[in-house]
Amino acid sequence: MWTGTINFNNRIGPQHLHMAVRLPTEFMDPVPGQFVMIRPAGGGGTLLSRPLSIYQFVRNQDHVILELLYRVVGHGTELLSQLTRAAEVNILGPLGRGFRIDKTPSHRILLAGGMGVAPITFLADYLEGRLAGKYELKICLGAKSCAEIVGMERIKGMQGLLNIATDDGSLGSCGLVTDLLPNFTQGCDPGKTMIFACGPMAMLKTLAEQLAPTGIPCQVSIEERMACGVGACLGCAVTVHDRRGKRVQKSVCKDGPVFNIEDICWDQI
Amino acid sequence: MMNKNDYNKQGKLAVEIGALKLKNPVMTASGTFGYGEEYAPYVDLNRLGAIIVKGLSLKPRHGNPSPRIMETPAGMLNAIGLQNVGVKSFIRDKLPYLRQFDTAIIANVYGETIEEYLRVSEILTKADGVHALEINVSCPNVKKGGVAFGTDPDMVAEVTKRVKGATDLPVIVKLSPNVTDIAVMAKAAEAAGADAVSLINTITGMSVDVEKRIPHLKNVTGGLSGPAIKPIALRMVWQVAAQIHIPVIGVGGIMSAPDALEFLIVGARAIQVGTANFIDPRATMNIIEGIEAYMKRHHVVAMDDLVGSLRI
Repeated sequence: MWTGTINFNNRIGPQHLHMAVRLPTEFMDPVPGQFVMIRPAGGGGTLLSRPLSIYQFVRNQDHVILELLYRVVGHGTELLSQLTRAAEVNILGPLGRGFRIDKTPSHRILLAGGMGVAPITFLADYLEGRLAGKYELKICLGAKSCAEIVGMERIKGMQGLLNIATDDGSLGSCGLVTDLLPNFTQGCDPGKTMIFACGPMAMLKTLAEQLAPTGIPCQVSIEERMACGVGACLGCAVTVHDRRGKRVQKSVCKDGPVFNIEDICWDQI
Repeated sequence: MMNKNDYNKQGKLAVEIGALKLKNPVMTASGTFGYGEEYAPYVDLNRLGAIIVKGLSLKPRHGNPSPRIMETPAGMLNAIGLQNVGVKSFIRDKLPYLRQFDTAIIANVYGETIEEYLRVSEILTKADGVHALEINVSCPNVKKGGVAFGTDPDMVAEVTKRVKGATDLPVIVKLSPNVTDIAVMAKAAEAAGADAVSLINTITGMSVDVEKRIPHLKNVTGGLSGPAIKPIALRMVWQVAAQIHIPVIGVGGIMSAPDALEFLIVGARAIQVGTANFIDPRATMNIIEGIEAYMKRHHVVAMDDLVGSLRI
């Protein structure tokens, strides 16, 4: 477990915050889709740490900076939101299996609903750094309203075509982020396409139904309440099909949070 | 060269639970430490007194639907439902890894029927590398077995007696706090031949999402663990230790060395660390070091001088 120091923890939306934490250089480089377990140093009011996916990571000579984008949803995130510069946090990570980035697909579609924008931005940045110009990239962001579309500035600066949908139509097109998808998947070659998605379970379930007839591969990063983050407590179970089609329990924290969309048993969600 | 200040290496923290010899009294509670390997990146497993693995049933179990956990004030509720790989897969896939460590491996045994408890115990007894069995008659999150056995002294005695007859390994009976008098259960286990008892398992509880008017756990109820239950666990350990002659293993909300010491002082021969592992993977290491530091500070040179030393 690491002790990090807060560089900034800025409010960027109605309940949305952007945090940067300074950590020692021993902290390993994360891949997009991985997460950390975080809590105020010593707990400060909650017992368990909260899982937050990584938004950005920068390695410097004598320290690293880990950035997180999160929304206040309960007591744990409320306490995190109150931390100010120089406050200390306890961090475990990087944890889990992130997105698998295969070099072949030439067409990549990134889909983020709500706070799903955090790992999706990290992924877009990562792709830009590793595979610049060697693929076609489309990014779709969705949220309830304009005020809840966060982190747009950073993602706008990246390559790739940005599309936005809001439930109330206050920004971009009116509707769900999954409604944007058919425009991009129509006529595309499933062998040369990969979709990466993160968002609420309802959105991912819709996506699963939408993609099933198309055969386009998709990796999703999912969320579940968790206590340990390392596969011990079995609190974050998800039912998936194994290679032989048998239903088995996997841990979101250790076997995920990224899964192939077709492996998840959506009827259990 | 032996560091003359290292009490752990000198064996000053050593304890005996029946025939089971532990290098120190700190164990990991079943269900909070996976099968050990999950915590190997963070903890030197060789330093632990014992590792108690997740409860094992005859066949693999899927456990309960999610959500399975919820944080509550100073605690957490869980309703995992004994998800486990099954005893055969444990022996094939998990035990070889654990064998390399110089740490006692205790298998937690669960059954829906007495026959299942017996069968799992027999299979584990034949396996190389299991040093003791902990009989789970206290899981509150399964429909059959578990706490259904642990709330009736006759059933506790029956399971204990039958398992004892089926194994030559030390048998620890893990007791439920969800009873009127836990000492009655402890005495039943002792009379039936148990080598030790461990207490407490979680306390049944629930939590409700008032906006949606639904329980936070899909299973509706779950087991409460963490600091919230420590005073209750401590009181029960103290009561039981005064009434039986076999070793008592204390468990319930131990987060730190002072917490562990409280249990030892009221009469626990050893302790288990559970929920604390989730919060700080190195909790057990800090507790071992803290007990050692306490012993030096108080000139205690053997665990026997500490266990049950409460002054009233």
